[in-house]
Amino acid sequence: MVAQQDALLAQMRRGTLQYCVLSLLADEERYGFDLVRGLAETDGMVTSEGTIYPLLSRLRRDGLVESTWQESPAGPPRRYYRLTDSGRAALEGFRLEWRRFRDAVDHFVERTET
Amino acid sequence: MSSTADKLVEDYLKRLNAELRGLPRARRRELVEEISAHIAEARVDLEIEDEPNIRTLLDRLGEPVEIAAEATERFGPRPSTAGWKEVGALVLLPIGGVILPVLGWFIGIVLLWISDAWSTRDKLVGTLLFPGGLLLPVALGVLASESSGCGTVVTPQLSPQPNGFTDCPPPDGTGAWEVALVVMLVLIPLVTTVYLARRMRRMSAATA
Repeated sequence: MVAQQDALLAQMRRGTLQYCVLSLLADEERYGFDLVRGLAETDGMVTSEGTIYPLLSRLRRDGLVESTWQESPAGPPRRYYRLTDSGRAALEGFRLEWRRFRDAVDHFVERTET
Repeated sequence: MSSTADKLVEDYLKRLNAELRGLPRARRRELVEEISAHIAEARVDLEIEDEPNIRTLLDRLGEPVEIAAEATERFGPRPSTAGWKEVGALVLLPIGGVILPVLGWFIGIVLLWISDAWSTRDKLVGTLLFPGGLLLPVALGVLASESSGCGTVVTPQLSPQPNGFTDCPPPDGTGAWEVALVVMLVLIPLVTTVYLARRMRRMSAATA
């Protein structure tokens, strides 16, 4: 049962991670390292930082984010990611659905707990 | 101490590169570039670049095999297994030149190179071993014009009755090597097509 629960939580984290990435990019563009550390700051979201990069690459190929190279104050140029219009639309769509889902689950889970 | 750090990072990136070998080259290169940039940025933040700190940094990134698994899953099963580019390349490379002289084969080559399903080596094999796909219609044209009186069939494959060769006795002497040449020109593209088809499946199995 516990193993099943762990797998479920891992799947949920995995499925929602891309929207967390899109959210981090909603207000400002960020480069990979900055983005990854931004995610890792919140406990329980990312276990291995390196696994964010395949996700970023896929988001870019799906057209939800785009990237530009920019000079860095020190060291080589950095690849900055920012939301595209369809990325923004996907994020908005998810926000609505997520709120509804979260409220629905809360409605049952929180009540039985008390 | 810095050389130990460099060595650790270098080993890590080498292992990552090896784990990602199932991916198309562009994606693999992008991931390795991004992750080595990440490491470089993280190293700047370190107070001391000693071995424990570097190891901790690499641990936070995760095992290369883990990143590769994530990449495979994120990129999903390769859509190219039966994609139009691959089917087009596999059809046009051997017989495209017959359907549409020169241009058909050329389109096949373009499809071969824009597809993700093959490694660069396989694409080279497909391109270099495939002049057959281009030579075949030329050879057939030459043969047809030589054996005059046997009909005006320049592309026997497309004619309703494939009688380009069978009905006409080959001209004396030259017949044997001409038939051998045509057989070669048909066989080489076929063998290469089978090779490419198999390579494509293997690559998609590796990433699935």
